[in-house]
Amino acid sequence: MRIVMAEDDPLLREGLALLLRAESMDVVATAGTAEEALAAIDAHEPDVAVLDVRMPPTHTDEGIVAAVEARRRRPGLAVLVLSAYVEQTFATELLTSGVAGLGYLLKERVGRVEEFMDALRRVAGGGTAIDPEVVAQLFTSSRDSRLERLSPREGDVLALMAEGMGNAAIAERLVVTEGAVHKHIRSIFAKLDLSPTDRVDRRVAAVLRYLEGVRRLA
Amino acid sequence: MTSGQTTGDAERDSGLRQTAARTAGSAAAALAQLVGGLGTAFLALPVLLCVAFTAAASLVGAGLLLAPATLRALHALAARERARLARWGPEPAAPDDPPTRLRPALADPTTRRELRWLVRHATSGLLLGLCGLVLPVAAVRDISFPLWWRLVPADATSTSLGVGTAESWPDALAVVLLGLGWAAVVLGLTPGMARLQANPGRRLLTAGPEADLSLRVAELAATRAAALDAHATELRRIERSLHDGAQNRLVTVTVLLGAARRMASGDPAGADELLERAQSAAEQALAELRSVARGILPPVLADRGLAGALAGLAADCAVPCRIDVDVPERCAASVEATAYFAVAEGLTNVAKHSGAHQAVVTVRSSGGRLRLRVEDDGRGGAEAALHGGASGAGGGSGLTGIRRRIAAHDGDFSLSSPLGGPTTLEVELPCGS
Repeated sequence: MRIVMAEDDPLLREGLALLLRAESMDVVATAGTAEEALAAIDAHEPDVAVLDVRMPPTHTDEGIVAAVEARRRRPGLAVLVLSAYVEQTFATELLTSGVAGLGYLLKERVGRVEEFMDALRRVAGGGTAIDPEVVAQLFTSSRDSRLERLSPREGDVLALMAEGMGNAAIAERLVVTEGAVHKHIRSIFAKLDLSPTDRVDRRVAAVLRYLEGVRRLA
Repeated sequence: MTSGQTTGDAERDSGLRQTAARTAGSAAAALAQLVGGLGTAFLALPVLLCVAFTAAASLVGAGLLLAPATLRALHALAARERARLARWGPEPAAPDDPPTRLRPALADPTTRRELRWLVRHATSGLLLGLCGLVLPVAAVRDISFPLWWRLVPADATSTSLGVGTAESWPDALAVVLLGLGWAAVVLGLTPGMARLQANPGRRLLTAGPEADLSLRVAELAATRAAALDAHATELRRIERSLHDGAQNRLVTVTVLLGAARRMASGDPAGADELLERAQSAAEQALAELRSVARGILPPVLADRGLAGALAGLAADCAVPCRIDVDVPERCAASVEATAYFAVAEGLTNVAKHSGAHQAVVTVRSSGGRLRLRVEDDGRGGAEAALHGGASGAGGGSGLTGIRRRIAAHDGDFSLSSPLGGPTTLEVELPCGS
């Protein structure tokens, strides 16, 4: 997998590159600023861009802006954004451009190498990887009353769906059978008024439903 | 006993010397002030005549055309006097720009006050200034009279009073006595005369009572805004150094640990190297946390006071640094912290940019103000860095932060650093909270 990575802290940049290469990823270019990152993405056409949110010059949201810009230039480019802290406006800004091939993770998740590589592969494959922290915050701030109908367990399942996990992965994480996960998901669809006749991917629709709520907030 | 007496005499001697030096010093300052006042008084006289002429001419209409020019001259002179007074004491708070058109000027309190000042300064101010010029000349002339009175024609040997003529040695000695009298007058009365001369200006050239309050309110509001701004900047700096500094180090630790764990079974040597790097990253995180905490309030200030804390800074400075602190009492904690960071920033710049061989830090307090000065013998040019680098991460940005911090305390900051050096950083802070 060809990766362009942008992180302004040289030590961390080196550490990340080291880890990715140890996982036999092809880090084709590293960058210290958003501008360098965009140039590298244009030059190398990577499978995934891994971007830090806070980079020079203002150390605020350069990475988010760069992610949106990179996806505008190359629609469908997979981008995984790493952030020092969860900021909903960042998440919503990022997700308004569509959730496919997008990831937004707290930086420290990288240390859980297996899960991180999972997320990276998912994003590269056109899936989603949203940090549990982000999902939790989205939940608490969502104003969609239908979400309040969900039981805590169904909430957990929806959260993991939003992180981009498949049923098997969710079952593994929650230590239940896949059948139980199926049951929860059907119940979620029912409570969110997503009928089987709708010609939409109900899974994505369910995730979008509360992301919508947050978007309205933002 | 004898030695004790000698010590007592010596003390009395040095006390006398100090009193004499103080008296002479204040007399010299007063004379300089009087002569300086004479300068504006000489200008005040023609302006006063102009005003009188304009007023008289206005009665027949022609003066109306002259009014704007006359008023402009008046305001310019008043501004000059304000600047002069600011050099000799607290700066008179300048009122807003007064009008230069006749009709609004007639109703303008500032203009009226300036006119009242003009009359006093052009008359009594002028006389006092002349005294300041003539008195020391007379004193010198009369005291040195015996040295030269034989050399000049007899009709030029009159006393400085112009009464009587010295024709014999006793006469000459009497003239010396007269000269000593002049000297006594100079020493004793000139400070009072200087105050008398400056008084109308200090009273009438400041903004009037009604304007005064609004000015002060505006000033306080600005200071408060600066304080809040400095506070917000400070919080942002702390937040940034936590997120981009310590936290990034810790993330690096977890990344390296994660990689090391994956490597542990296959490549133990490689894993060990990663662990080594993870450890050093963790140590860096600790160092960054220490520096962030220290940046909020240096613990050494609380432990050892300003003098001890500054001595610590000097000891850490790469350039040999002499610390001279004479501050009898403690100031507010935030003021001491600001003073400490100003010196720290000053010394950092000395070590990084100046190429100096030595630096001197002087701290004094008087009249409720804390004054610090950081000097070096380096190559200068720091002013350019301050103005040019304000937005970047260059040498100037630290000073910009310090300057904001000082402004928040209602203090003053000045930096003199011509190319070729030396560089002098001066900071003045009110001691109170």
